[in-house]
Amino acid sequence: MNKYENIPDEQLVQLSLKDQDCFYYLMKRYETKILRYINRLTNVSHEEAEDILQEIFIKAYQNLNGFNQKLKFSSWIYRIAHNEIINQYRKNKLRLAVIPLNIEDKANLIDSISDKTETNGEYESLENAEKIREALAMLPDKYREILVLRYLEDKSYNEISDILRKPPGTVATQINRAKASFKKIVRRYKL
Amino acid sequence: MTDISKDILQKIKKDKVRPYSKQRFVLRRSVIWTVFGLSILFGSIASAVAIFQLRSAEWDLYKNLSHSFIKFVLLVIPFFWLIFLLGFTGFAFYYFRRTEHGYRHAAIWVILSSIVLSIIGGGLLYSTSLPERLERVFQENVSFYRKLQERKQRVWISPEQGLLAGTITRIISEKNIEIKDLQNNIWVIDISDTVWRGRLEPAEGLKIKIVGKMKEKNQFVANGIRPWKGRRYQHGNRHLSHKNKR
Repeated sequence: MNKYENIPDEQLVQLSLKDQDCFYYLMKRYETKILRYINRLTNVSHEEAEDILQEIFIKAYQNLNGFNQKLKFSSWIYRIAHNEIINQYRKNKLRLAVIPLNIEDKANLIDSISDKTETNGEYESLENAEKIREALAMLPDKYREILVLRYLEDKSYNEISDILRKPPGTVATQINRAKASFKKIVRRYKL
Repeated sequence: MTDISKDILQKIKKDKVRPYSKQRFVLRRSVIWTVFGLSILFGSIASAVAIFQLRSAEWDLYKNLSHSFIKFVLLVIPFFWLIFLLGFTGFAFYYFRRTEHGYRHAAIWVILSSIVLSIIGGGLLYSTSLPERLERVFQENVSFYRKLQERKQRVWISPEQGLLAGTITRIISEKNIEIKDLQNNIWVIDISDTVWRGRLEPAEGLKIKIVGKMKEKNQFVANGIRPWKGRRYQHGNRHLSHKNKR
């Protein structure tokens, strides 16, 4: 246990501005989450994902003074991650197509996207993560990312609004459209 | 297993990466808000001139023209300034979205608010002489704008339809004045039974609009005379009353 463990992110930001080493603890808190987020949105290798992660943390460090205390730090760092992934996508033409999902991801996604009142069992046919991955891969980028943020990263509408810099109303609309689109793909391709 | 966060921290130290200064962010925010404010200000100026043009339009005269009401409305709508207003609204929207929390508001809300702000600003500026001055500057210096306005002013070269405009060149008597119309033709105007609008007094050099009836070639009976445009244009050289005193 380290002495910074119980300090909130926002306070750790202030400490990092005074002492570079404190930034390590901030990075440590988000290292796994952001790496997983990169992996969920891209199909880059582990090394490439770590390079993107490095860029994200360096940019976050450079912009620490611009962090708005009214925002959650997690939303802020995810926003930087989102922007960096887009940058990398434009620069290196990353393929944001195939998303690696683990068993837990698969369960989360099916649970969240399938309407609980639907009893026709169409999602029971989504037997493995591979099929979910395929369905997600067929979604437009904006829908895929919003579903990942909502159901895999477990972000609220307001947090997604802060991450993607979109009005909460637009976020809600896009989530609904993404869900509808996901369901359509599942039905169409009998996944 | 490598500690990626530790490696990144080492890189930050090795490359001497430093956080950007607070002032940099304050400056960025200030620039964004300033550009947003300027966009609203310029939008207000555009809407002030648009209001001025709409108020100057002779809505009561459309019946004198052969146009339908729709055609008349299309003629008097100040498209030039409305395009400016929309352009600056676009700027305002773009920069408001780049403020810290601007993205939280729906696009339609931001656009409508910017337009309303510009119209309120325009309403305030309308009470100053700015719209008239600006319009004159554009008329004098921007040929495209001048041509656009001349097209609108063409209705005032319709003596057969009872509309005539020009500059008073001579005050012949209390009952007659002479004007040079927009095509430099000379007319004698019968003003014996005329209502002068807008606290006008006949004076040489005064540009006026006349509503009345064409009597014969180059002779016109005026029923009503109104200022050419706005307050600034109501100056002449010599008033009739002055002449009579002499």
